[in-house]
Formats: sequence, structure tokens, C-alpha cells
Amino acid sequence: MKSFGTVLKFEINHYLKNKVFLISTLILVLLISVGLSIPTLIAALDSDDETSDPSSEDIPVYGLYDPEGLVEDLDYLKENFYLGEIKEYTDLNSLEQDVTSTTLNGGYILNNTLDYQYVVLNNEMADSGLNAFNRAYTIYYQKHAFEEKGIVFEEVQGIIHPNMTQNVNVLGKDSAANFSYTYILMFGLYFMIIMYGQLIATAVASEKSNRTMELLVTSTKTTYLIFGKVLGGAFAGMVQFILVIMTGKIVYYLNAKAWAGDLDYVFDIPSNILLQFSLFGILGYIFFAFIFGALGALVSKTEDVNASATPVTIIFVIVFLISVTGMQNTEGVVLKIASYIPFSSFMAMFVRLSMGSVAWYEVTISLSLLIVSTLFVGWFSAKIYRMGTLMYGNPVKLKDIPKILKSQ
Amino acid sequence: MHLEVSNIKKSFGDKEVLHGLTFKVVSGKALGLLGRNGAGKTTTIRILMDLFQANEGTIDLDGKVFKPREFQIGYLPEERGLYPKKKVYDQLIYLGQLRGLSKSELKEHTLYWLERLGVMEYKDKKLETLSKGNQQKVQLASTFLCHPEIIILDEPFSGLDPVNSQILKEIIREQIQSEKLVIFSSHQMSYVEEFCEEIALIDEGQMILTGNLNTIKREYGKNRMIFKIADTSPQQVYDLLKKDFSDLIKFHEIKKEQVILELLNEESKYHFMSRLSEKKLNVEMFAIYHPSLEDIFIESVGE
Repeated sequence: MKSFGTVLKFEINHYLKNKVFLISTLILVLLISVGLSIPTLIAALDSDDETSDPSSEDIPVYGLYDPEGLVEDLDYLKENFYLGEIKEYTDLNSLEQDVTSTTLNGGYILNNTLDYQYVVLNNEMADSGLNAFNRAYTIYYQKHAFEEKGIVFEEVQGIIHPNMTQNVNVLGKDSAANFSYTYILMFGLYFMIIMYGQLIATAVASEKSNRTMELLVTSTKTTYLIFGKVLGGAFAGMVQFILVIMTGKIVYYLNAKAWAGDLDYVFDIPSNILLQFSLFGILGYIFFAFIFGALGALVSKTEDVNASATPVTIIFVIVFLISVTGMQNTEGVVLKIASYIPFSSFMAMFVRLSMGSVAWYEVTISLSLLIVSTLFVGWFSAKIYRMGTLMYGNPVKLKDIPKILKSQ
Repeated sequence: MHLEVSNIKKSFGDKEVLHGLTFKVVSGKALGLLGRNGAGKTTTIRILMDLFQANEGTIDLDGKVFKPREFQIGYLPEERGLYPKKKVYDQLIYLGQLRGLSKSELKEHTLYWLERLGVMEYKDKKLETLSKGNQQKVQLASTFLCHPEIIILDEPFSGLDPVNSQILKEIIREQIQSEKLVIFSSHQMSYVEEFCEEIALIDEGQMILTGNLNTIKREYGKNRMIFKIADTSPQQVYDLLKKDFSDLIKFHEIKKEQVILELLNEESKYHFMSRLSEKKLNVEMFAIYHPSLEDIFIESVGE
């Protein structure tokens, strides 16, 4: 067991002292810190602005040419025009000139009660000048039409758009509220497995390609080597993951005033969810790390790692997709099945736990299956690692493994 | 210690590559494992190191089943390899720790071997920045740093220049003198001749010759004589022998301008000599032939 500690320490050091690891962690931490501090920075800049005169130039101005005098109560029209100010024009030419010279953002020419023309310099996709005026002019028309019939318009509006109050009383899980952090945790896990899986596979393959493996295998037990290697890599990944999440949490709370609780739905992760995530996430992570480690032992050059890892990566991406799709409907059959298969249970069961309702025995079965399979995969990957030690040349095909294991 | 390998067989798939090898090694005497490329030397060594499992046969040390992990073994694999991106000192310490040595013990051993092999100045350099010869020396340091009781070296001299070979020769000699059990494989016969009292010659997975080198040499040189006549070409000597002496001797071969002949029996030597004096031949040399290991090797393994 002493050797296992030696291998584990060596492997952890290998990652933690690795420049790529250090730089990528630093970049992630910086990005998150800066990103979450943006509202505070903006607020700080805004408060500086308040001392100077707020400029009115930014408010867009639109022209109105009403030769027929259709609008009697211009203030009411202006009230309902949310886009900016309306300035009256008495002749068409000066309105068009002002639009051309961009003094005006646009102009409206009223032809009759239900017909107007929008004058604009460049018609852009995001231009809302037409909609805004349409709304204001429609309301203006409705008010007058109702009033002509002797009906008070505000009363009609009260009937058509009643002030409904509502609130949701969730008896089970509030999937909608859990969605964000569930998704973020899952995506983090996905990213971590893909990245560290490849790193572990490459580390194993490089020991083969630089021929250190023969010396290692004759120095200590292969189980220690592969377990140390995989757990070392897994540990480094977790350190990075926890560091990023913790930085996010801390920086968010430091900037809590500026955010005013806007991101609480992301960062306020209940501790039981975090516990479940850690349990399933770590097991699943180690499960895949062992598979990637064994894949690394099957090739003899680091260049071959990618090709060899592709089938597993595809399976893993499918697992991720099933889980993400399952977030929409946690009672789906596919998600339920996936939550028992060790390849997918760590993610699928987490989705069900976080967003749906699961019976305790279901969790126990799924977790036990995952633990047993992780141990099995660990044991099997040690076998493969041992077998792969002295197999150089072409990558070993999966179907040949039993035969080779037997012949050694 | 007394290591006894009996009748080991090994197959890869359907192909048997070792067909029952048997040999012995004792502490204080080195065994030279000889053979051409692909003869099965490395496979044999890997079976000794438990990297491969033999399909048949036994390996015993002092009468008990040999388990390599229970001993400190200085193993130099044929495929040299260390971590190219790690510092020399760090990886030596790591490899030593894997073999169960304590850190303080290792520190001392590592520094000793780095000094001894003349690579102390590269202690804190990454391995990949060293020349190939120096990398080889670091590899040797990793082999000896656990102060092994058993030393197994697979082609230890390949890649070393004459000066470094000399250093390694001294180290091996020292290890043999301090009663270590040494096995090393090589196809460079001169090195084997220098150190090994015992040899095992393998060809195509079969044991061709095994035993004490001197005995083998004597056996091979038995009844063979070197014969040379002044101012006569070997071909002329051969013709002469064939014509006048074929009842006493058998022509063996021409080697380095000398004719090697084989006496048909013990008595033939005296008859041959008296007939030579009768014929008044100007004999320049008539001596017992001592075959070199290379001669034995080539003769046993063939072309």
C-alpha cells in the first residue's frame, strides 16, 4: 500500500505542477471572477456618471406629420409611445430632411385614421419604430372609438387586461428553479470527464511510448500503478472543479449587492443536491477515468489515444444528451433506464434526484450498481494495463483482449 | 543464492517461442545469456521478471518458487525508458520508492550512483535534455540504486561508448565480486567472455549450449590444432594435408590465415608430428586450438 501512496502522490504532483493545468485553472478562475464582477464595475462607472449632466441626446426622437389633424390629443399618443419622443412637423419636406440627416430616428405621416406611413433612413432588422408607433396609434384609435360610443376606455382595458395575481405552490421538486444549477453541474462534470479522461489516457500511453512502463510494472503492483494514475488524475480534475465553483460562489457573494440576487438560481445550490452530485459525480468520473486509463494502455503511441478513445467518447456524449433531454421530463422511460446503467446512471440519476422524485430504493440500487461496476472496471483496467505493458505496435482491438489476456 | 530455470516454454498465440529452456545461475558468478536477435533472450528475461508467464516449466531460487517482487532486483530492460520530462533526481527517487526504499536511504544511493556514473551535474535537469549516452547512464543508476541482490541486464552495453562501457564493466565486475547473482544478455561476445563463468546459448527458443564457459571452450577445442607452415598459403597447406595426412586428421577450417585441423584420435597427434618431421616441412606453428566464444557461437548457431 505504501507504493500506492507513492504513485498517487507522484501522479497528483504531475498534474498540479503541470503548467497547462496551472494556467488553465488560473484562466478559468480569472474569467469567473471578472465575469461575476461586471455588475459591480458597471454600477461603479454609473455612479461616476451621475455627477455629470445626464445627456438627453440619447433619447430617440421621431417626427409626426399630421396634415389632416387626425390626432387631437397628442399627449395621449406620446404617453403610449415607449420608444422616445414625438416631435410634430408641419411640412413633409423638413421631416424627410431631418430623417435623412439623422436628426430624427424616423417619422410618421398620418394619411387617415387607419393608415399611416413610416419614414426611415435605413430599414434595419432591429428597428422597432414601426411596432412602437403601431401600438401607440392603435391605443389612441381604440380610446377614441370607444369614447365615440360613450364607453370609458379605461374600463374596457380593465376588463380585457385584468390584473391577475398568481403564485405556484410546488409540492414536489421545483424543476424550473433547479434547471440552471443542475445543468451547470452536469456540464461541468461532462467537461471534466472528457478533458481528464483524455489526459489520463495520454499519460498512460506516454508511459508506454517512452517505455517507462516496463520498469514501473517490474517495480510495483500494476493495480497500484493504474489506481494511482487514475485517482491522481481524477483528484486533479476535482481540485480544478471545486476551485472554479468555489471562486464563483465567493465572487458572487462579494458582488451580491450589484447582482441583487439575480443569479441566486445558479449559486444557491442546496447542500443535499451538492452531496448527491458529489457522490454520483465522483463515482461516474472515476468509472470513466478507469476506462480511459485502460484505453491508454491499449495503444503504444500517444497519437493513437484519440482514435482509441472515440467509441467511449461517443457513448459518453450520448449519455450526456440523454440526461440533458431528460431534464425536460424526469419521468421519461429512457432517463429511468439510463439511471440504472453504470455508464449513464451517475448523470441520469443525478438529473432525477435534482429535478424529479425518486424513491430511496431506486437510488440505492443505482448507487450500488455504480459502486460495484466502478470497482470491476478498476480491476479490469489493471488487467488491461498489465496486458498492454509489452504490447507494442498496432493498437489492440477490443475483440482480441480476451484472447491476449488468456495467452499471457 | 542459486537460481534454477527448468524447462520453460512460452507461446504467443499459437506460436511457441521458447521450447523448454533450462539453466542455472549462482551468486558470485555471472551468467551470459547469448543468442542472435530474436532468439528468445528478452522473452526469457521477461519471464524471469514475471512480466510474462511461462506456459510450462519452473523457476526456483534456493529451492523455492522464485517471486521477483520479493527481492531487490536491478533490472535493466532492453527497452530503455524513463520519464523524459521529469528531472533526473526526482524520477530516480520515485522509482526507488516504488521498490520500497525509504527516502533518506534513496537520497544517499541516488547521489552515490549519479556520482559514480558521472552524471551528477545533470541531477536537476530534465532527462530529455541529456545526451543519449547520459540518459543511458541515468538508466543504469536507476538499475543499481536499490542495491540489488539480483541483477538482470538486457543488452547493457548497447548505446555506450568505449569509455562508458569501461565504467559499466567495472561496476558489473564489482557486483560479481560482492556475490551478487548476475544475469546479462548480449550478442556482443567479448563482454560475455570477460565476465561470465557460465553461459547459456539460445537459438530460436532452444537451448543450444549451457554450462561453464571454460569447460565449453575446452570441449569445443578438443583435438583441434592450429597448423601453419612458413611461406605457404593456407590453401596449399590444405591441399598438402588432404593428400598426405587424411588418415590421421580431418581438415576443419581456415581461420585468420591459419588452418585448423581435427585429430581423429589422441594417438594421431604423435603420428602426425613424426610424419611432419619425416617430410621436413618448415612448421611455423602447431598448437592447441582455443576457440573464442564467437567461434563457438557461430559454429553452434550457424549462419
